[in-house]
Amino acid sequence: MTDWQRIERSDEFRELVKRRRSFVVPATIFFLVYYMAFILLAGYAPDFMGESIYQGLTVGYVLALTQFVMVFVLGLWYLRKSANEFDPLADKVVEAAARDEGDARFVRSDEAEVKA
Amino acid sequence: MPLFAEVNVEALVMAAIILAITLGITFWASKRASSAVGFYAAGRQITGRQNGLAISGDYLSAASFLGIAGLIFLYGFDGFLYSIGFLVAFLTVMFLLAERMRNSGKYTIADVLSFRLNETPARAAAALGTFAVVTFYLIAQMVGAGVLIEKLVGINFTLAVMLTGVFMLCYVIFGGMVATTWVQIVKAVLLMAGIFTMSVFVLAKVGFNPVELFNRADANKSAESTFSLAPGTYLPKPLDTVSLGLALVLGTAGLPHILMRFFTVPNAKAARSSVVWAMFIIGFFYLLTTFIGFGARAFLGEGGVEAAGTGGNLAAPTLAAFLGGGEGTFGGDLFLAFIAGVAFATILAVVAGLVLSASAAFSHDIWSSIVRKGKDSEHEEVLVARIAAFAIGVIAIVIAVIGGSGLNVSFMVGLAFAVAASANFPALLLALTWRRFNTTGAITGVVVGVVSSIFLVIVSPKVWPGADSVTGSPIGWTLNNPGIISIPLGFLGCFAGTLLSREKESERTFDELFVRSETGLGAERALEKVA
Repeated sequence: MTDWQRIERSDEFRELVKRRRSFVVPATIFFLVYYMAFILLAGYAPDFMGESIYQGLTVGYVLALTQFVMVFVLGLWYLRKSANEFDPLADKVVEAAARDEGDARFVRSDEAEVKA
Repeated sequence: MPLFAEVNVEALVMAAIILAITLGITFWASKRASSAVGFYAAGRQITGRQNGLAISGDYLSAASFLGIAGLIFLYGFDGFLYSIGFLVAFLTVMFLLAERMRNSGKYTIADVLSFRLNETPARAAAALGTFAVVTFYLIAQMVGAGVLIEKLVGINFTLAVMLTGVFMLCYVIFGGMVATTWVQIVKAVLLMAGIFTMSVFVLAKVGFNPVELFNRADANKSAESTFSLAPGTYLPKPLDTVSLGLALVLGTAGLPHILMRFFTVPNAKAARSSVVWAMFIIGFFYLLTTFIGFGARAFLGEGGVEAAGTGGNLAAPTLAAFLGGGEGTFGGDLFLAFIAGVAFATILAVVAGLVLSASAAFSHDIWSSIVRKGKDSEHEEVLVARIAAFAIGVIAIVIAVIGGSGLNVSFMVGLAFAVAASANFPALLLALTWRRFNTTGAITGVVVGVVSSIFLVIVSPKVWPGADSVTGSPIGWTLNNPGIISIPLGFLGCFAGTLLSREKESERTFDELFVRSETGLGAERALEKVA
């Protein structure tokens, strides 16, 4: 029997969860707030959104484009953070578990990675 | 009505080429789809980039391609609001679910929900959520397919629906997830190529200056036109805009056919990179859609409104014919045929993904786990999945044919997103993150989410008393999109149900699910690649 509770309480696992949360939670709040602010403006301030900045380019379109930028930036940022910070921490948890449990099942599926 | 009204030969040839390619894929895939992991999850051998393309192919329905271009053509800015919601939704998927699903699930979303909850009721609840979403989405897509193919290729609505249904069933039944994935990848590539080519043609006409395109579009509307560069034309009620926005951004994270795609990659890392690939492909796609919508407005103008049909769905094909040199010319017909073929491939890829997710929910969750209590063989489970796919496909064809082309497609898609956001998303998220969450909470959450969103749509003014009504339904309900009420209700159902009972076992096994979902310990392995 695997002692999941012990892994859950291990320092390695706590560190992983803490670090990932401190990125994911603020990022999620940020994108939801930024997106809903845009939607609220579109709903309740149509005249402001329709104001022209440069010829046919309106405030609404510029704000809409910043939503695209936000998605791309957060996506790439999270990829980087995961590769540099979260994945190595997760590997540590897995290694520690494999050492303590001596269980062959504890090889992460990464190691069987398939190339296409 | 004749079976073949005015058959567009070029479009027919284009559709035949696409069918030949996809059937070839299905034949190739059929050998790899005989095991359960092959049939449901393509052996978990799909790479991150391939899966990103497949997610895009699964997600970008004809409603996105033709519908949003049409909405932008008719209403301007409000059409673009849909695109933003559909795209930002992938941040929800990435941050909250993608990796966790891959780490703790096997084939269906019910695997994740039932991990630490009482298996039978939890699987039943998840299957209910899946069926509700798939039913609305699938019927919407089938009706949309019938209408479009009738218009574009020139064959009768009923025949068009049946053809779509038969091919979709071929992919799913014979090729499982392997064929479905590759059909989605081919479609994504075709769709991107199609919309990119069209955009280049459009931009070439305005000297590659998007602002000039906006100006021309804005200049090309008459006094009674609904088109506007400002919001509020298609969605005149602010609260409806907010409600729709909420359903879109949370709904994607509850769509079973999208979440199922994360089981096809070897690990969480590939699941993560596939979301980012999908974000870039889908984001690029929606940016280009605006050029199509504005291009149609700038070049076809008010005169194109009639040709664009209900909801503006035919704006993009009409624009394609114009860009190619005009209807009746060789270039115009060819471009139209190409876009028609792309639209056809788009529909097939989406419906195949939907049917596969529903058949998996039936065979894996209801048949194998609940009816046979896990005592059935893998062979039996896959056989049941194939039979279920056939039954679901036939039912969808029948409903689409009976409902006919008059069924309102966009309201059914909106309903699917609302159900997904209100029923599936809260239960999944809480099962993965809240220790105290339990079986009662999952069931009340899913049931409240499904019932409240369906009820609010039935009493919404567009359905009862009907389209174009200004009075609202007899009970005085005026909101068209249920999201802003039904999503909080779904969460509330989860909380209330959970607090009503105490489930020690579920709280104890939370450690296991939590560790697995965060680290990938003990996650399902990929099949060894057979060269």
